[in-house]
Amino acid sequence: MNDLAVEKTQSTPAITADSASGLLKMEGDSYPENSFEFFGPVMEWVREQLSDKACPLHLELRLIYLNTSSVRAMLDIFDMLEAAHGRGVDVAVVWYYDARNQRVADLAEEFKEDCTFAFEITAEEPD
Amino acid sequence: MVEPVESDFADARIVERVRQLLDDPAHVGNPLFEPLAELLQLATRQGERMERLIRIADGFQGAAMERHESLVASYDRNLRRLEKVVRISDLYHEGMRELSESLQAAATTDPLTGVGNRRFLMERLSEEQDRARRMGRPLTLALLDVDRFKTVNDRYGHEVGDQLLCQVADTIRGHLREYDICGRWGGEEFLLLFPEAGTEVMKACERVLDAVRAIELPGRPVGHCITASIGLTQVDYSSRGYSEGVNRADALLYRAKELGRDRIVHDFASQSPAD
Repeated sequence: MNDLAVEKTQSTPAITADSASGLLKMEGDSYPENSFEFFGPVMEWVREQLSDKACPLHLELRLIYLNTSSVRAMLDIFDMLEAAHGRGVDVAVVWYYDARNQRVADLAEEFKEDCTFAFEITAEEPD
Repeated sequence: MVEPVESDFADARIVERVRQLLDDPAHVGNPLFEPLAELLQLATRQGERMERLIRIADGFQGAAMERHESLVASYDRNLRRLEKVVRISDLYHEGMRELSESLQAAATTDPLTGVGNRRFLMERLSEEQDRARRMGRPLTLALLDVDRFKTVNDRYGHEVGDQLLCQVADTIRGHLREYDICGRWGGEEFLLLFPEAGTEVMKACERVLDAVRAIELPGRPVGHCITASIGLTQVDYSSRGYSEGVNRADALLYRAKELGRDRIVHDFASQSPAD
């Protein structure tokens, strides 16, 4: 399976995906012009990673601003994780946020609402 | 399943009665025996067929119901999903709006004194000038400069100088009407804008100067009074742009300094300059 390494831009987050460790990281703002195109490869990676029950998927997020279609894409990813969790796949999310920006934590809580898998929201002190 | 009704029992009774009659050997020779037996067979077949039809119809109806229910469930699920997307998206937008507001406030506020900065004053002056022109109402502008501010800085240090500027800003704010505007034009110079007001603002300006004289400066020796001078002008809004009124107020302020400071100089018609 292809791993992902997408550079951060002003309107899209940095994305790295490593199938061997099952770690997917997303970091930055997300308001791509074409979210279907942007999130397509991520969705595909998640789908493939979750198709093998033996493969874990740990999602590490440092997302700040999401536009509407990015919100939808993230909810779709969490839905896939929820379904995989139901099949016994090892899935977990940690959403890191800048301790000075409580709003990001509140938003992460909104995303977490219907999830039954491990979903941590953790403050980070700025460098 | 449908509950059996009275007519179902009546049907069952007549079938049972005919069957008993046909079973009775005494009736075997009866000429009606054979047609009645055929009729009973026919009725039995019809009954079975009817039950099969009902079963099939029930099955179809059940499938339709299930399909309807699954559509309703998926519709509800999609609706909930959409509501969640909208709710989260709204929160992000709210965050952006607040951020934009705080950036706007930061861009138009003087960080030292907390009053509006020059950018804020230029925007408001331009707005108020347009409004005054539209409504045919007066608009009066004052430039206030703290007298010998450099001496305060030199003698007591910049920290005291900064404190003084904050106190002057508070003093001005405390003596204006709610809809008057004030801000730091630069250095130790403050701009005051009085919408819908003409020569009567003299009194307000005098009160401001009185209050400035009463400002207590930390470490200030007794008898050393803080004063300020004001150049006051009625904005001629037939002129476009904000600079003309400010320039005139500046010239009047300069005149006040020349005349010995701690005074107001205005260019109101039919009144001699106050000092």
